[in-house]
Amino acid sequence: MKVIGVHLDRCTGCKTCELYCATERGSNSKFLLRSVQEAPLPQARVRVEGCNQVPVTLQCRHCRQAPCLDACLTGALVRDPETQMVVIHENRCIGCWTCTLFCPYGAIYPWPQRGIALKCDRCLYMENPICVDVCPTRALELVDVDEFEALLHGKRAKLIQEGTAFKKDGKMLLLDLVK
Amino acid sequence: MDCVIIGAGVAGMQAAFSCRQHWPQKTVTLIDAEAEVGYFRTLLPQFMVRTLAQSKLFFWKPENDPKLVVRSGLRVASLDRSNQRVILENGEKTAYERLILAPGGRPIVPGICARSSCDGIFPIRNLASARVVQKWLPDHSHIVILGGGLVGVKTAAHMARPELSVTLVEKEDQLLPQALSPRAAALVKAHLERKNIRIITGHSVEDIQVQGGELKAVQVGAKGIPCGTLLVAAGSVPDVQFLKDSDLLVKGELAVTPALQTSDPHIFAAGDAVTIQRDGNFTPWTWPQAITQGKLAGRNCYAKDPVQLNAFSRVNSMNLDGLSLVVLGAPVMGAEAVVYSRPGEGICRELFLKNGRIVGGALVGDISGAGVLHAAMNAGVEMDITDEDLLKPMSRALRQISIRCSRPKRRALFK
Repeated sequence: MKVIGVHLDRCTGCKTCELYCATERGSNSKFLLRSVQEAPLPQARVRVEGCNQVPVTLQCRHCRQAPCLDACLTGALVRDPETQMVVIHENRCIGCWTCTLFCPYGAIYPWPQRGIALKCDRCLYMENPICVDVCPTRALELVDVDEFEALLHGKRAKLIQEGTAFKKDGKMLLLDLVK
Repeated sequence: MDCVIIGAGVAGMQAAFSCRQHWPQKTVTLIDAEAEVGYFRTLLPQFMVRTLAQSKLFFWKPENDPKLVVRSGLRVASLDRSNQRVILENGEKTAYERLILAPGGRPIVPGICARSSCDGIFPIRNLASARVVQKWLPDHSHIVILGGGLVGVKTAAHMARPELSVTLVEKEDQLLPQALSPRAAALVKAHLERKNIRIITGHSVEDIQVQGGELKAVQVGAKGIPCGTLLVAAGSVPDVQFLKDSDLLVKGELAVTPALQTSDPHIFAAGDAVTIQRDGNFTPWTWPQAITQGKLAGRNCYAKDPVQLNAFSRVNSMNLDGLSLVVLGAPVMGAEAVVYSRPGEGICRELFLKNGRIVGGALVGDISGAGVLHAAMNAGVEMDITDEDLLKPMSRALRQISIRCSRPKRRALFK
């Protein structure tokens, strides 16, 4: 199972991922300059939250015990049996926003103009997630869940070595939360 | 017969799925009084006005599992606990090894409505009555909805259509009195009034006029309102009459432990009918709670060490035909209120905090950050949040939660 990992130390909060996600996955034209003229305006499934000093790139973590799956009233949110991704069937979504209320990461967004909830499905039917492809600082990376521990271990070791762990106290390592 | 589940609402259904998943060798029998089961009760308002296709109403396919038997249209009369049998109203007896009670609720119908034996009065609760209402509405377009709670408000919002004339009647002085503060409720009221829904608060239906066996008008306060359809959404009560001789009820309530176990170790319960005994009684009565409880009851029924429920919140969310609404909890006496409000744009975001911890709140019109605030409330995170922070809660709230999550882990690295 591959998910999108976020290197928060590399994220500059440029929102390139947001722009391209909305264009590629939300627009009809698939071109940035045309998509900004569409109505309703295309919405991104990945968001850069946080403040300027500490940008936090947020997208669905595809939790193993996903609260949104329990909360969904219509069965629109399901776990894809092949890839284990939590995906939304837009034709079943009625826009009640219960999943939005139950996502502890705040990674499911209402799109009231279309009456559906939006969430990252890791661009399941594409070769690579668009946000990973376009990230200029390589802050987003496609990683296998099973390789997380090794990746985290290396990252922690580096942090300790550099003695910067406490200095960056406010900078959450988002990968920590996905186990 | 291995596991018998009484009630095939969402809690009963989830209990059945969960039991089959965790204990695959056991057969599960679902017994329900309704003829049709496995539908989304919360979608009935849309179904009644035909804005939701019937195919989207059902969530269950009966042919999926041969070890899951559904017996619909059968009402349970009583329990014979000493012989571990369920006695049905038709006299049939069904033995059980484990029993899960998920009978749900039955609608409260005020006396004035119950006494009138005319056509046109319908409680909003089950699919059978929704089907009748669906056929009834085109010829009886003057509608009065009795009850301004979540069900009544949601029904009114979906019935706001040009061909229908809708009046919403609430006996308290505001809509959603058990969920929202007066400030937030005023926005909901303004939204419904913009949709040409007439709202009468502080009164109830006091008289009913009948002509030719059909409802003709209702009297609300001093006003007479022409009305061909009266939809009753005055709440519901646990449907536990069949348990009255079973010794499972405590003061008339189906009391369970946080592991959803009744006083009988072979009997579990879930959904709208239960009262969880934990630091006082807890009765959430929300859809997500019913699903969570159903899953847990199905898992626990054969478990040696039953797992306890860990989510005790009454949160709810809905889209009132254009107005997004999230309820984190009703206003709490003595709590500090943090409010960000733009009434002109229909936005009111408020949190109630006690000792810095979120104990309730509501987001009306703009629900961004609802999930993070809900998570912070459940985790009991001490929040440092001001009125302005609610303008864009993600940065502040997420940062406060994330720092708390990451600190212990990083400190542990240095031990």
